[in-house]
Amino acid sequence: MVLIECRKLTKEYRKGDMVIRPLDGLDLDVEAGEFLALMGPSGSGKTTLLNLIAGIDSPTSGSLVIDGQDISKLSRSALANWRATYIGYIFQLYNLVPVLTAYENVELPLLLHKLSRKERHERVATALSLVGLADRHDHYPRQLSGGQEQRVAIARAIVADPKILVADEPTGDLDKASALAIMQLLQRLVRDLGKTLIMVTHDPNTAEFASRTLHLDKGRLVDQSGHATMEAVR
Amino acid sequence: MKILPFDYAVRNLGRSRLRLTLSVAGSALVVMLVIGAAAFVRSMGNSLVSSASPDNVILLGAGSEESIERSEISATVPTQLTGTVPGIRSQLNVPFVSPEVHMALAVGTRQGEASHQQVVVRGVTHTAYAVHPQVRITSGRAPRPGNNEIMVGRLAHTRIGLRPEALAIGNHLWFDDQPWEIVGHFQADRTVMDAEIWTALSDLMIAAKRSTISCVVVTLDEATFADIDAFAKSRLDLELVAMREMDYYNQLSAFYKPVMIMVWVTAGLIALGGLFGGLNTMYAAFSARVREVGMLQALGFARRAIVLSLVQESMLAAAAGAIIAAGLCLLLFDGVSVRFAMGAFGLRMDAVTLMLGLVAGLLLGFIGALPPAWRCLRLPIAEALKAA
Repeated sequence: MVLIECRKLTKEYRKGDMVIRPLDGLDLDVEAGEFLALMGPSGSGKTTLLNLIAGIDSPTSGSLVIDGQDISKLSRSALANWRATYIGYIFQLYNLVPVLTAYENVELPLLLHKLSRKERHERVATALSLVGLADRHDHYPRQLSGGQEQRVAIARAIVADPKILVADEPTGDLDKASALAIMQLLQRLVRDLGKTLIMVTHDPNTAEFASRTLHLDKGRLVDQSGHATMEAVR
Repeated sequence: MKILPFDYAVRNLGRSRLRLTLSVAGSALVVMLVIGAAAFVRSMGNSLVSSASPDNVILLGAGSEESIERSEISATVPTQLTGTVPGIRSQLNVPFVSPEVHMALAVGTRQGEASHQQVVVRGVTHTAYAVHPQVRITSGRAPRPGNNEIMVGRLAHTRIGLRPEALAIGNHLWFDDQPWEIVGHFQADRTVMDAEIWTALSDLMIAAKRSTISCVVVTLDEATFADIDAFAKSRLDLELVAMREMDYYNQLSAFYKPVMIMVWVTAGLIALGGLFGGLNTMYAAFSARVREVGMLQALGFARRAIVLSLVQESMLAAAAGAIIAAGLCLLLFDGVSVRFAMGAFGLRMDAVTLMLGLVAGLLLGFIGALPPAWRCLRLPIAEALKAA
């Protein structure tokens, strides 16, 4: 089942007299439960595409239908509500709030939903144990390693049970061992929880974990390759 | 709208101790200033307004409506008034009619060593205590005629520029080249009389070599102001004018309006400086969190929710400063006496004054947070996420 449909998706902005077009009439379908890697050189439009799918940016033209809803037509506040329901964002630099504990960081997205304190507690506990950090719930980000911080960020991304996870260079700031652990965790989330994951990466080794890799250049798809990895882990 | 937890705003305050200290100290300074200005203006205004009794009428010399000290009327006016106008309040057949001499004199503790500040010396008879019920003798006794005795108000030392001990009972003050023995202390809370020196009317008239008095203060009972006014207007020979005591002091209060406005303007300008300082601190605090704000938006928090949290944070710091300022003002300035042309008054940190300060502090926090919060949120989310 197609979850994300991009049709003639274009994003452009002006810089002085120049019109810059990071995305240029892109067509793309993403199946539910797919692990998609976006690769390409800097300025190819992969992060722009990720941001459009995550609803934190709006296309200049074209349509972007997610789960049957064209999100390019949503107002700013409706888009914020949509993000809270559909998207879990994993950032390269984790973006944890330094004054909140791991538990409180993970709890943040749940504050946007009508849940009791008990329900929130149960969900945060589940998310933290899924990422293997149940025993670090009361630690502040400064008391965690980079890999642990990213795992807290992943717990935060999945805690509200969104359909789509977007990850922008999720291992870009981690050492090799931590990066491997994070990628295995992400792969498990797709496999066990049925999440759809779209990931931007520069690293071909990281992209190997995806079920499909798209290469972008100058705002267009240039190549598309599938990997057996997902089948292998299944 | 789903809002961020209040705890988030509270804990964000602790991110930078220096910034927190600057915010709290800046707010405290501005609030202290506002409280100081409010206390000054309100206490000064109150001291003038509270000096008057609603039932009192002053008879003074025509043309001297702006200053009793300049007024001179015949010493026979009290007798003529009581004989002509019925309905003046009385007790035990003593009418509440107080002949008074008001003189602004240079007062010192030794012969020839007078203060640069002039003090109002009021010559009174026993009826003065009836028409001015605010006056309460707190120690010693009232001065007796014929002995050059005086009684000093609670704030007289401030007016003269002396320490309170210098005006102990038994000490002497010098004015009109004569020593005057202090025999009593009085208090007339929140009135200009609090900074005066009272003596016997006859002694002051002799010392000043005058046969006239400054005014007559009358307390009405059944008589009305119109009756006293008619008396003043019908006795052209006495050259009198009647004024309600309230009107006299309101007129004095209006005279000091420019001073009060100046105080507010100065306080406002300095507060504005404080506001810009606060803005600067908040700009620094919020601009360091642009990426975090972008993340919160990416999670789905609405801009208004984030602005609310940033405003809460700023207002918390400002409120902390305001509370510290209010406490310091209560501790340091409540009751402190201030000299002004009419005498002296005590600064009063009453509830209204402190509330004004607290409101100013909260406003400072609110206004100081909005532009930095707006600047922090105006970036598109995608750009905010790339911020350093």
